[in-house]
Amino acid sequence: MMVSANRFRSIGWIALLLVCAAGVMVLAFRVNALRSQVHRTEQQIIALRKEKLYLETEVETRANQQQLKLWNDVEFGYVAPTAGQYLANERQLAAFAKPDGPDAPAPIRVASADDAVAAEAAFPSVLSDLAGAADIAAPVAASDEGEKAAARPADAAERASATANLGARLAMVTPLKKDGKDKPGKHKAGKSDKARDGDRKAGLAKSAKADAARPGKGAKLAAGKAEARPGKSAKSTKPAPKAAKGGSKTAP
Amino acid sequence: MNSLTASAAIATGRVQLANVRQNALVTARLRALWIMLLFVFLALTACVRIAQLGLFEQTPERTSLAEALLPSRGEITDRNGVALARAFASYSLWYNPKALGEGGAPLVKTPEEVARALVGIFPDADYADLVTRLKAGKPCYLRRRVLPEDANKVFALGEPALEFPREEQRFYPQGSLAAHVLGYVDEAGKGHVGMEQVLEPRLLDPAYRGTPTALSIDARAQGALEDELGRGMMETMAKGAAGVILDADSGEVIALASLPSFNPNRSDLAYNDLVFNRVSNQVYELGSTFKPITIASAIDAGVITDLAVRYPAHPLQVGKFTIHDSHNFGASLNVPEALIHSSNVVTAQVADKLGPVALKRTMEQLGMNERPTIELPARGFPLWPHGGGEGGKGDWARLTTMTVSYGHGIAVTPLHLASAYAALVNGGLWRPATLYKVDPAHLPPGRRVFQASTSARLRQLLRMIVADGTGRKADAPGFRVGGKTGSAEKPGSGGYRKTSLIATFAAAFPMDKPRYVVIVMLDEPQATQQTSGQRTAAWNAAPIVGRLVPRIGPMLGVVPDAHHDVDISDLSPLVGSGDGE
Repeated sequence: MMVSANRFRSIGWIALLLVCAAGVMVLAFRVNALRSQVHRTEQQIIALRKEKLYLETEVETRANQQQLKLWNDVEFGYVAPTAGQYLANERQLAAFAKPDGPDAPAPIRVASADDAVAAEAAFPSVLSDLAGAADIAAPVAASDEGEKAAARPADAAERASATANLGARLAMVTPLKKDGKDKPGKHKAGKSDKARDGDRKAGLAKSAKADAARPGKGAKLAAGKAEARPGKSAKSTKPAPKAAKGGSKTAP
Repeated sequence: MNSLTASAAIATGRVQLANVRQNALVTARLRALWIMLLFVFLALTACVRIAQLGLFEQTPERTSLAEALLPSRGEITDRNGVALARAFASYSLWYNPKALGEGGAPLVKTPEEVARALVGIFPDADYADLVTRLKAGKPCYLRRRVLPEDANKVFALGEPALEFPREEQRFYPQGSLAAHVLGYVDEAGKGHVGMEQVLEPRLLDPAYRGTPTALSIDARAQGALEDELGRGMMETMAKGAAGVILDADSGEVIALASLPSFNPNRSDLAYNDLVFNRVSNQVYELGSTFKPITIASAIDAGVITDLAVRYPAHPLQVGKFTIHDSHNFGASLNVPEALIHSSNVVTAQVADKLGPVALKRTMEQLGMNERPTIELPARGFPLWPHGGGEGGKGDWARLTTMTVSYGHGIAVTPLHLASAYAALVNGGLWRPATLYKVDPAHLPPGRRVFQASTSARLRQLLRMIVADGTGRKADAPGFRVGGKTGSAEKPGSGGYRKTSLIATFAAAFPMDKPRYVVIVMLDEPQATQQTSGQRTAAWNAAPIVGRLVPRIGPMLGVVPDAHHDVDISDLSPLVGSGDGE
């Protein structure tokens, strides 16, 4: 009985040993398989990096300074920007604004839940990063807002982000395209005031109607118009309050 | 009986059969055993191999990712990381006559036809040379560097003997851009001329060559400088041109060009006279561009305290020698007028009052008596005027002092002048020019040559020269350029040659807070229609700066501003108007 128990135990040990050995074997196999996979991936990475370097060099060669200059001479004719194309500070930017005409209404301000719209409408201290004057104006804005900022840090943060956004907006081209709906540039140029007023009237009436159906859009549109044309005549602004009204319905 | 015989017959048959069966069984077992042994052996072998593969096998010649991607020679970039020189596996054109087997013709077509086709693909190839090489039947390179599209065209010729091995070579993606700064690498892999030679140990060191080495050069500014210099050179039919843009505060070389240039990608053709660097290696008498240095030295020494003091402007007799001006500027000039009209006579008088000791000290402090301080291997030694005393080390003679004051009798490289102008406008600190990128927080200490107040005064004066004087054509709107023209006759046999000039314009911008110094020099410019029939720097070198500054300014962070300028209101009442050299 004792013998058979001993034998049984040793058989058990051997079986356990065999199982462990098999387990180690399997593990080792898997590790090595993974290792060779890694190696293959490394090889792929090396090949791809070399290919990337090759393509990069080709692009750099095709677009080298001399080649770009030739293309510019023949095709594009770009020239360096002149002094007139830079704005040094917000005063220079403000100098481009048209002064308010006689009997001009106060600019319409519309409440909005959209933070981005609010930040844009707030129009904090205007500074172009291009002119490198941002650091001068940031403290000015901060001191103006000093007390409020202490009370409402969230508001201050919003303003700071809006300032940064403005710098970015001035430096970028895309936001201008986005505002293209309002076309402030188009109004400035060419057309006589009368004709323009007529156009605007029709356009605004239409938009006011549309706003009744989709009031959410009206708020933005009206805000945009108020910003774009602060100096418009009293006659032409008639439909605008409607639009504003339509918008304010949805405003919380 | 029948049955007995039959049974006996059966019995014997049975015995025999049993034997046969026995034998067959043994054979079958043996065979089965053999086959089993074979299977066991195969299985064991397979197991051993699997275990070997699975447990112990290491991939042969395993290299790490970094090692495999380590270039054979380190990359050189500009200050913004644009690759200027790179180890690159490019195609070569190799002629292997044995590609079609031993014996028989190595080429499908005749050598003449193949050579003609190759010349059609590579127009600069030498037809006769190709024919001889193809006929010789020896393996050789037909061309070292071939573009992939050209390689495709050669492949389309259908000649198996023309092979395209890819070899790691030095490649300059920007072509001849900054060729004198970079230099080139020869076929043996050795760097020559520029930073390829200077940086060779670092570029080849496995510890460093993985990371690109950044130079202080800005590829865009370099391109603009070479372009404008080339245009100026063409318009004036000059023999050569040189230009350098220096960071006024740190001494970093932003661009350095010497024209005509060479193509470092063709290292086989690169070694010729064009590798000579006019900016750092050739010394010139740079003429009137030295006048602001003299005036600064005089203001610094307290010799000029009142800029309104007038000096006689008649030709000045010194011993046997007479100092003239290019025009007659009237009876007298004050110092601002002398600079604006570039008067040799007045500058010489100021230098005479200053004395040889002070002027010589200033020139020495500006490094004019030694090779220019830059990493490039080719640096010219200035022609430093001999003084009196033992070994010419004493004080300069009176006439020497006077001629040096307006840039004659002393010949330095344009790089010397650039470093001197940087010290002139940056507040008075001279720093060595460098081609390495300098961290603005760790600027070298610099050597004080002028007081800050002197530098401020000079900024006003240099700005006035461009606003009202000989440098008007360099006045890029909004960039507040200040500078000085210099037109020196080249010395030839029997004195100075009237028609061989070195026209220089030394400028800095923006003058209210100078960031960059620009030196432009033309070697023997001719009087052409573009320069209104003039040879002097005001008509050929100054316009180059006037076109160059608006191109590089915005790229280098200088915003043009028409509402800013250095205040010259205290000096402008002192100045009349007129023209000078």
